[in-house]
Amino acid sequence: MGIEISRLRRRFGTFLALDDVSLSIGDGEFVAVLGPSGSGKSSLLRILAGLDQPDAGSVLRDGRDLLALDARRRGVGLVFQHYALFPHMTVAQNVAFGLRVRPWRVRPKAQAIKATVEDLLRRVELEGFVDRYPSQLSGGQRQRVALARALAIEPRLLLLDEPFGALDAQVRVNLRGWLREFHRSLGITTLFVTHDQDEALEMADRVVVMNRGRIEQIGAPEQVYRQPATPFVSRFIARGQRLPGEVRGQHLHLFGHAWRIENFAAADAHEVAVHVRPEDIVPAPVPGDGLTAQLLNLRHVAGSVRASLRVESWDEPLEAEWSERDWARCASAADDRLHVHLQAVTVFAMDRDGRVRLRSIVYPPYANSSIAVGPWRRIEA
Amino acid sequence: MAAVAAVVSIGQPARTTHVARVVLVLGALVVLGWLMVLPLLAIFAEALQHGLAFYLHAIREPDTLGAVRLTLTVAAIAVPLNMVFGLAAAWSMAYFEFRGKAWLGALIDLPFSISPVVCGMMLILVYGKNGWLGSWLEAHGLQVIFALPGLVLATVLVTLPYVARELIPLMQAQGSDQEEAALTLGASGWQIFFRVTLPRVRWALLQGVLLCNARAMGEFGAVYVVSGHLRGITNTLPLQVDQLSQENFSAAFAVASLLALLTVFTLAIKRLVKWRHGGEWNAND
Repeated sequence: MGIEISRLRRRFGTFLALDDVSLSIGDGEFVAVLGPSGSGKSSLLRILAGLDQPDAGSVLRDGRDLLALDARRRGVGLVFQHYALFPHMTVAQNVAFGLRVRPWRVRPKAQAIKATVEDLLRRVELEGFVDRYPSQLSGGQRQRVALARALAIEPRLLLLDEPFGALDAQVRVNLRGWLREFHRSLGITTLFVTHDQDEALEMADRVVVMNRGRIEQIGAPEQVYRQPATPFVSRFIARGQRLPGEVRGQHLHLFGHAWRIENFAAADAHEVAVHVRPEDIVPAPVPGDGLTAQLLNLRHVAGSVRASLRVESWDEPLEAEWSERDWARCASAADDRLHVHLQAVTVFAMDRDGRVRLRSIVYPPYANSSIAVGPWRRIEA
Repeated sequence: MAAVAAVVSIGQPARTTHVARVVLVLGALVVLGWLMVLPLLAIFAEALQHGLAFYLHAIREPDTLGAVRLTLTVAAIAVPLNMVFGLAAAWSMAYFEFRGKAWLGALIDLPFSISPVVCGMMLILVYGKNGWLGSWLEAHGLQVIFALPGLVLATVLVTLPYVARELIPLMQAQGSDQEEAALTLGASGWQIFFRVTLPRVRWALLQGVLLCNARAMGEFGAVYVVSGHLRGITNTLPLQVDQLSQENFSAAFAVASLLALLTVFTLAIKRLVKWRHGGEWNAND
């Protein structure tokens, strides 16, 4: 059954934090809510935790109204971005808090609480830290104490607010894998909020992309990345960049070329957006072939090459990303002129209200190339 | 003074900063010594100039003992009241959003800016014999003005901002994450207050309470208006000092030194606690 969120709406003054948000989460699922700041993801989290109430809409858990329960009785574990540990309590006291505040009739015995705390600390790999205070712990350790504290109440839904937001990059990457495994071993339905694309794509079963209070797309990480539903998702997740293309009839016109688009009814299109991903701008294997590009700058970052290019006469520089091997193979880069191919471009057609009506991925053929199908061309399912 | 020195020493250890540090620290010391330490010592010197026997005699006078008792009684009632008020006000200012929040903040500060004498007059206007509630109070046999309730009211009014003003900035800066965490863990409102909020603000609360107490025991203006100056009955220590100073100068100084001792004692407790728990004093997390 899981959690059924339907048509949530929340307004702060004139700011619409949540606009008609619907989402269903399966039992035991690990879902990432991804969006820039102000996209409404934290509002959603606070409403699920009972710290805020929506203006309209409903949340059902196993068919029962979750919003009718106040935060105390909701059984929702929440881990705050800055952990919100109690600084005057030891690690053990922090973790035991949720059990100690229970009414005495349902409060476990001191021995049982102690055992539970020890078990939880073992699970988050902090056995030796029982008597430490939060100020004596590193960021990653505090994070895990906060997690253990939230788990002590045996929540049926675990919410994580920017779980790695306050950690440095190295710790963050290590904890990602750890949390993924941890979730797998617990099986608690988990929703986490982040603005970090890598984090969401790497960890979650499903990704919910939000923008301006609306859900733009829900899908598996691979799906959201390969088939973005809207120009926003394309920009935000796949680093899609706008191109000066237009659609006339059944053809996409771009940089003086015209390529046929299948199944594209131009009548539906009020406005068209053409996007290309950095890794889909590839150096041409044959010198003098493809689109001319001027190299503006080049950075070598950990095994990949990032280049800013001015393609043809298009004013906006385009970012391209290649592997070092591809770059080495493309010897034409001696001067700042080179030739590139666009391997795939995504075309969105929007109606008058800005809603995406059609989306098509176009693979421009290597018209002048001696190789009909480029060596880098991906084969789509 | 330490703060001044610390700020100056942040700069480069150039000669000019060294000179500036010496000048600023000396300046602060001279001003404080001239305005505070010297007069305070003068009071004790004057009080003891006729010998210890005279001093003890002046203090053991029944009217003076009555004044001590009254002052302590008033402080013992007013300070807890203001502690509760300060906590409630700070809680609502820090954790709730409501219309007129800015107004509440300004109202809490008002006793700081109104002259204590005016505060006293306001109480007379409301609770006095010819005041708005005067006839009702008289009909029920309740005397407020020229009695203990009036003294307590005046003291509470004048010392109202002390606890609240200590707590509000701290609680606003700390935010409500920990309280919200406690709520989602199943804690009730009282549990959140006693187990999470109170421990976080305890040092600021203690500081506010001690300042409030020092001020409550030393309050003169508002109390002067509502007291009626009945010796041994409605004279608090400051009023007793005032009356004695018109008759018996040496006795007045003896009582004044007693009052000064009470407040110095209060501040000494504050310093002691701050010294013993120096690390925790400013620790927010």
